[in-house]
Formats: sequence, structure tokens, C-alpha cells
Amino acid sequence: MKESLLEILCCPLDKHDLELEDAEYATDDDGDETDEIVAGVLVCSECGERYPIEDGIPNLLPPDMREETPA
Amino acid sequence: MTTNESPDDDATTDQRTHVRETYGDIAATGDGCCGNSDAEIAADPDRTLSLGYDADDLEEAPDESNLGLGCGNPVAISNLEPGETVLDLGSGGGFDCFLAAREVGPDGRVIGVDMTPEMLERARENAADSDHETVEFRLGEIEHLPVADAAVDTIISNCVVNLSPDKRRVLAEAYRVLRPGGTLAISDLVATEPLPDEIRDDPDAVDACVGGAATIDQLEVWLADVGFTDGSITVEGEWTDDLPIVSARIEAKKPT
Repeated sequence: MKESLLEILCCPLDKHDLELEDAEYATDDDGDETDEIVAGVLVCSECGERYPIEDGIPNLLPPDMREETPA
Repeated sequence: MTTNESPDDDATTDQRTHVRETYGDIAATGDGCCGNSDAEIAADPDRTLSLGYDADDLEEAPDESNLGLGCGNPVAISNLEPGETVLDLGSGGGFDCFLAAREVGPDGRVIGVDMTPEMLERARENAADSDHETVEFRLGEIEHLPVADAAVDTIISNCVVNLSPDKRRVLAEAYRVLRPGGTLAISDLVATEPLPDEIRDDPDAVDACVGGAATIDQLEVWLADVGFTDGSITVEGEWTDDLPIVSARIEAKKPT
């Protein structure tokens, strides 16, 4: 996901802002970091729920559904 | 938001799980849905054309993104403008997202939300194979959209809302994330009269986008209930001879 998209994402439960932690960025052909996030965690600023970013896709399913999701 | 009308019992969970497992399998195998269990029909370009997509659309989108799972062409009806932010509810293989990306251009962006990891995996591979840099996918539930308030210009969706056990909530979430003046422009299967209980309660009928179809009357009430104005439900065609199910365009505006 692009870092610029973070501003329009929110916690699926309480709709508060998400903060990015432990971000890993993709690199371009020159080895420079891009704004494409490939891994990390999105943390709700209100409830503290943690949403993983895996293979560049944020998993923003509510926690009760996420547990059924194969890794 | 009222939550007391949201069914959140075991039956709801069961329906959601059944739908997710079925579509996970479809993503993995390429089998069809929406009444088409035949994989050849699912990927048939003629069927896609008959739904209102044109030949350029098929050229434009990555081959693997068209799983043939829709019941209409929401992009064709939603009059997307360059620079818009578009949200696709239940984006599946990403076909409509890629077409939307063409419409909104380099300054726009398209976000696809789907609850099926296997579908998103396909969509992501399709995005990587193409140069659609403005398309993003995320795993999420359309009843709990992970999208900020008033962040979206247009919401599209193709044959997905019928699968939700809580359609009123989906519409309420759609309303929340649309900016004032934003547009809901979705295609779905709807019922022209109430369905028999034995269809409504059959998980396979729900997966086939038939059992869960809401009646037109009910959808109109929900649209108005959650705040939409100018709601219209336009019947596009018969879907099956056996049931009072039709494909329809569902359009509405969030007031400015």
C-alpha cells in the first residue's frame, strides 16, 4: 500500500485514525526506498487494535474475522 | 449509528463464513458464481460483453482480473471523473477497479475492499502485472469499512451487496465514507417480490447471489433510512426463470 493512502484509512471498529508502525518500504531499481509499504502494522489511535500489513495488503478485517483468516 | 438492528447472531456468522469459503475456492479454482457454476461461462468474453462492458474494457484490464463474477457493469453507469477517489465494495479479482482506474486517471485513486484473502491475492498479482499504480486493495469487510468519513467520491460494487447478511449496515457505511455530494452506483441482483424461506435459508442459494437478494422495496427503504437522496433502482434484466430475481442498477446520492 502507498503511504499516502494512510490518510483515508481508519479503524474498521471505531473509525479512528491508524498509525503506522514497523514499516518496511519497497525499493526501486536504484535501491532507494519508495512510498510503497510492503510490511508493517497499523495501530488504531483510539482502541489500540493492531492490523498487520502483509505482502503490501493491510488486513483491516475486524478482529473476530481476522482470526479465521489463513496467514 | 444504530446497532440494535444489526443481526450479529450465529446465523449471520455462518452466512459470512460460508460466503467467504466459497469465494476463496472460486479465487483458487476460477469457478464462477452468480448462477454460473460452469467455469467456461465464468470466463466467457461474450458473457462479459453482454453485461455492458465493451471490448476495450476487456483489453484494458489484466486478463486474470475478470473472474466473470459480476452481474452488471457499474463503471459504465457511474460517470467517473478524472481525479476522483473510488471505492469498490467486494473487489474480487479487481476487474472493475482497473477499469475505474482508467477513468479517474493518474490523479485519481481506486480502493478495492474484499473480505476474501484468496481474492485479494489474485487482485494484487493482477495489479503487479499491470501499470495501474493508482489501484490499492485491502482486506476488509463491507459492513465495517476501514475507510475514513467523507473520503470517497464514488462507490461502485458489482453483485456483492446481496451476499451481505446485513445490507442496511453496508449502505450506512457507504453513506458514511462518501463525501457530501458523492455517488453510490452499484449493480446487484434484487428480488421483485419476497423470496420463499427455503431459498433464503439455503447457503448455496446465498452464495449464488440469489438467496440473499433484498427486495426492491426493502432496498429503497434502507437507502432513504441511512440518509441517501435521489435513490433509484433500475431493473436491467431477468436473471433466472425460476425466481423473482433481476439484475439492477442501484444509484443514490449523499446530499451536499
